[in-house]
Amino acid sequence: MMFSKPTTEQLLAGIAEQLRTTVMAEIQTEPTKILLQQIDQILMGCSRRAAHEIAFVHEEALRVATLTGKDLGIPASLHLDDVVAWYQRVSTALSDEVEAAFASGDQARIDAARAALDARSAVEMQILGALDLVGRG
Amino acid sequence: MHNVNEMPARVATFLAKAEPSWKNVTVDSYEVMTGGYSRLLARAEVSHSLGHETLVLRGDPPKDRQLIETSRQQEYELLLVVADHGVRTPRALHFDPTGADLGTATIVLEYSKCTSFVPWFNAGGSLDGLHLRLAEAIASYQAIPLESLPACMERPASWEAYMTKRIDAWRQASHNHVESLPIFHYVAEWLDAHRPPAAPLVLRHGDFQSSNVMISAEGQFEMIDWELAGIGDPREDMGYFKAVAQAMPPDLLDDTRIEEFCARYRELTGMTELQINPATVAYFLILGVVGTVEQLMQGGAKWATGENHLFTSVFNMSSVLFGQSMWLAAASQLAEPMKQIAAAARGGK
Repeated sequence: MMFSKPTTEQLLAGIAEQLRTTVMAEIQTEPTKILLQQIDQILMGCSRRAAHEIAFVHEEALRVATLTGKDLGIPASLHLDDVVAWYQRVSTALSDEVEAAFASGDQARIDAARAALDARSAVEMQILGALDLVGRG
Repeated sequence: MHNVNEMPARVATFLAKAEPSWKNVTVDSYEVMTGGYSRLLARAEVSHSLGHETLVLRGDPPKDRQLIETSRQQEYELLLVVADHGVRTPRALHFDPTGADLGTATIVLEYSKCTSFVPWFNAGGSLDGLHLRLAEAIASYQAIPLESLPACMERPASWEAYMTKRIDAWRQASHNHVESLPIFHYVAEWLDAHRPPAAPLVLRHGDFQSSNVMISAEGQFEMIDWELAGIGDPREDMGYFKAVAQAMPPDLLDDTRIEEFCARYRELTGMTELQINPATVAYFLILGVVGTVEQLMQGGAKWATGENHLFTSVFNMSSVLFGQSMWLAAASQLAEPMKQIAAAARGGK
């Protein structure tokens, strides 16, 4: 099938490290240095995503299904395209619930929707890590 | 515009046409500048029969490498108005609207003698009193009468209509994206439920952040990069400045300075304490970024669909991820103060 180790997470983090420690020193122009710093941050985010993305989506779907009381089904397969297509339905259901909660004026319902959003944001920040707006200023 | 072999000759030909009194125009050096995310920037040293100039060229990247889409025509017209009203900003000198001469739609600006604020701060510049200078800088361009602004700028029918449209832009940004964005829907609903007291519509910079201000030797701010300018609420630029400062310090509007900033701004503009206070500024930390957020999300979506090949578009989606956590936190902190302000405003009517 394939070698599972090093994992995708390790490989991407390793590429980022090589770019940072070896390639960067060879770069002469400022725009390319900035681009490389951006690539480094994106690669590290990809590394964290690769390790957990499909699990994160399923965990959030469970929260949203519980929140909305809707049957959100399951993805057609665990291939990422199918998971992402399913996640779109999960996200739409959460967006709809947020609007319905505010329209109802029910503070408990608003707070419950907000808790689901806080959980989503926490995962996003875990993937993002530190943000350095390189090249600005 | 980034072709350093071709551009010196193009610039010389363009300037010879634009400045007929200059003879023997030669471009002594031409170098690409960094610092701008959205537009191409270059610096040219130019000699001619009457002297020497340092010029900055600011032009559009190719369509498939644009982070955001904005009008150079509007920006050029606005730069003329802003400079004519005494606002500190590099003066626009020439414009190639079609790119016939310079290869892409390009504004030619005077080179600023000021220093970029962020590197200046990082090198140890003192922040003493700069929050007051910031209030003065914002008040300076907001004082321009709306009728003086370029005709191509959209005029909202009223503050209420403007706010409704601006808040709805959060929902539209989600609807127009390649996937639904639930936090955007929450932000829209929350903003609608916690509207601040009305304020007069003014010119807003639209991308007012520390990397778009420079500082003079006398400690005054100079504004650059007006491409996202529009007519809107006066507190938007304050909130936007504070929002970006969360990811890129310094925050001149932090808890130790915000009250003095608001007081100085009120003193200059005559606005009331209910309109301008730390809570209403923080409300616009959320609302004020919607224009940029829309553009950044569109850029990222176009990268995902292959219409855009600018890697920075992907990178800048990280700013929105960071922003989402900030907007949620701000909404939690502001809910009660905004309710109190609304109640006080109702009581004062």
